[in-house]
Amino acid sequence: MMNQKLNVPGEIFLGNKEYSWRMDWNVNGWLFVATLISAFADIIFQNSVKHWPLGCRVGVVLAQFGAILLWIRGLRQWIAGMDELHRRITISAVFFAISATFFCVMLWHRLDVEGLFQAWFSTKKHPNPSWDIVTVGHTFLILTGFYFVGHSIFNRSYK
Amino acid sequence: MKNKLRELRAAREWSQSCLADKLGVSRQTINAIETEKYDPSLPLAFKVARLFNKPIEEIFSENGD
Repeated sequence: MMNQKLNVPGEIFLGNKEYSWRMDWNVNGWLFVATLISAFADIIFQNSVKHWPLGCRVGVVLAQFGAILLWIRGLRQWIAGMDELHRRITISAVFFAISATFFCVMLWHRLDVEGLFQAWFSTKKHPNPSWDIVTVGHTFLILTGFYFVGHSIFNRSYK
Repeated sequence: MKNKLRELRAAREWSQSCLADKLGVSRQTINAIETEKYDPSLPLAFKVARLFNKPIEEIFSENGD
């Protein structure tokens, strides 16, 4: 009898019967930290952060990307602890999520650079709103959404 | 790929969960192999063969065979 407990994708799906808060935190804790730093630095306090000294701003960026590297390490360990079918489904879902996120973020960014959103949303009160979403926070929210979509697509083929 | 996993498991009156435990995989994997939606890796196929004490080609065969 094999007694080693296998990791399963449902462990990080809130609402799933296999959901484990502890496992979700172990896998996605550093992603949460990176997103939180990004939310404060890139979205909520972006106007204040802009005036910080260069060293501090670089520190904030490096902190986000350091947290992302630690998240990738945790994700890799979690996937390695799965059985072969779940590993295949999860890797496919991650690949799908990364590709779809890359496509959407780049498309959105290019449209923003060309001024599409400015033309749509610019008002006299807010003449130059930026709708750029190339931040760690935005990117990982989109990535998470696409991961769940990808997982349900690939999981369905093996049910 | 075709396989005789369901027949072999049924002959021993094992549930899918029981077989999954013996092989160290999930129940979903056993179900996907039995319904021929998933072809196991070579190491897992060897594990199955060892567990049922049969040659690998007696359990798994190509669709045309």
